[in-house]
Amino acid sequence: MTVQMGTRQVGRSKFVDYLIFIVLLIGGLAFAMPLFYILLNSFKPGREILFSPMSLPSQWTLSGYIKMWETLNVPLLFRNSLILAVSTTVLNLLFDSLAAYALAKISFPGRDRIFSFMIVTMMIPGVLFLIPTYVIIYRLGWVNQFQSLIIPGAVSVYNIFLLRQFAQQIQDEIVEAARVDGASEWGIYWGIILPMMRPALATVGILTFMGSWNDFFGPLLYLNKPELWTLQLGLYQFQTSIPGQNVEQIWAAMAVITVPLIIVFFLLQDQFMAAFANAKFK
Amino acid sequence: MAGMLKQIRKSRWGYLFISPWVILYALFGIYPLVLSFYLTFFDYNFIQPQDRAFVGISNWVQGILDEKFWHSLFNVIYNQAIFITLTIGLGLIVAVLIKQVRWGARFFRTIFFTPTIVSIVVVMIIGNYIVGPTGPVQSFLVKIGWLDEAVFWTSSRWLAMPILALINTWKWFGITMIILLAGLYTIDPQLYEAASIDGASSWKMFWKITLPLLNPQLFFLLVMDVINGLQMFTEVYMNFDITGGLYGQGLTPVLYLYGTAFNRSNVGYASTIGLLLALVIAVFTLIQFRYLQRDVS
Repeated sequence: MTVQMGTRQVGRSKFVDYLIFIVLLIGGLAFAMPLFYILLNSFKPGREILFSPMSLPSQWTLSGYIKMWETLNVPLLFRNSLILAVSTTVLNLLFDSLAAYALAKISFPGRDRIFSFMIVTMMIPGVLFLIPTYVIIYRLGWVNQFQSLIIPGAVSVYNIFLLRQFAQQIQDEIVEAARVDGASEWGIYWGIILPMMRPALATVGILTFMGSWNDFFGPLLYLNKPELWTLQLGLYQFQTSIPGQNVEQIWAAMAVITVPLIIVFFLLQDQFMAAFANAKFK
Repeated sequence: MAGMLKQIRKSRWGYLFISPWVILYALFGIYPLVLSFYLTFFDYNFIQPQDRAFVGISNWVQGILDEKFWHSLFNVIYNQAIFITLTIGLGLIVAVLIKQVRWGARFFRTIFFTPTIVSIVVVMIIGNYIVGPTGPVQSFLVKIGWLDEAVFWTSSRWLAMPILALINTWKWFGITMIILLAGLYTIDPQLYEAASIDGASSWKMFWKITLPLLNPQLFFLLVMDVINGLQMFTEVYMNFDITGGLYGQGLTPVLYLYGTAFNRSNVGYASTIGLLLALVIAVFTLIQFRYLQRDVS
């Protein structure tokens, strides 16, 4: 679905145009303000963060960043978060697109029944799986190992559904012609389907990576050793220690976690919004 | 014969390609579902799993009679009622304005969407700082005299959930806005032109054209918000202790389940709470499909 802009009403007064713009500008700035705070406060001395929250730093300091670096093993947290997010994303891109191709373009007995079943499973609330999955992971001896999060998260029905909808729009003739030319199913998938699905793969990649990067509950359940902590767990440790004590570190850590994501978001903003709205904005 | 062979060969690829999902869903989907139900009939803990005792339906009886569970359910419903009203109300207003704005639609879309990508842990720390007792909002309200003194909202019986809903609105509002905006762009502009020739006011057009045609998006948002919102965890885990605060004002069903399984090591009962919550969610979803889906195609 591609949507066009420029459906503004004609013959509207200039005053209304300015009014709408100003309302949105004020609202937008208010919405973005807390994010500016992260950067601003991360360079403030601790006292100022607590007592003059709105002001610019009276002196710019890196002490929050230095203290954070001393208490937390930041490169390790980054590495752990990246291992989880990258491997989950790569596996999802591969497995979900394979399943989507099979469900959209290969006819085999039981295919439609399997797809209907998948749709039904999408409605089951995740809380139902929480305790029994923990029991299974525990019995497998995967607690405190990355695979406890990577393997169960390696496929997603929601992603398969998105990719299948996209793959269905690819013309059957293209696939059939390749089959007649003697291409293998893997060859068709790799050489034709994957390149054509690129926009949908971007959506799946963004959703999966962000879900894993921002996940708190999963790592909290399964990764209990400090050397396995992710960025989110590391940040949480600051929050739970003595209140007000490590306020500088907290803001520096929030900046370190959030700023890379915001940069990626600004670079890929159209793909991000397409991923969430399931529509493309021009 | 050759055709059949070819068909079998092709089918084989089909099965092979969906096998990762089949295997993983069998292991981490179907098996847990069965196990979940099975566990509710046992007294079971992680420390001594061999001491598993069959207790019949006593976990279910306990769950249905458990005031704490129903209180936690009340909390998330209270929270979601406010959250859904705020996100959909604000989302509609901002989406309509962005569709109408002459300059910078793309810029505004991006700005309002940005909080969505920030993690819940970060959002809760910032949110707590902004609305906390020493934060800018309360300082301002005290200064202009609307508040007598700063409020510790996490220890307030009735304010905890509304404030959480407010913070969550800041984080999630962007998705609501973007989904409604995508819906707005699909509405045929000719409908508005025809209505304005007939002399309809903008207000009337909003109620008679825009809102009815956004029905599919609104319905989708409502269903998803209820499913996700009733399973709230990280927000309350970060702001309250595992009991959900002094009055249980921050207790949600999933926090209760977490505490039951991992603090009190009562896995069978935790599993029962999970199933009870899933049942409640299913009932809500069914009611929504039954009574609200009228005009949704």
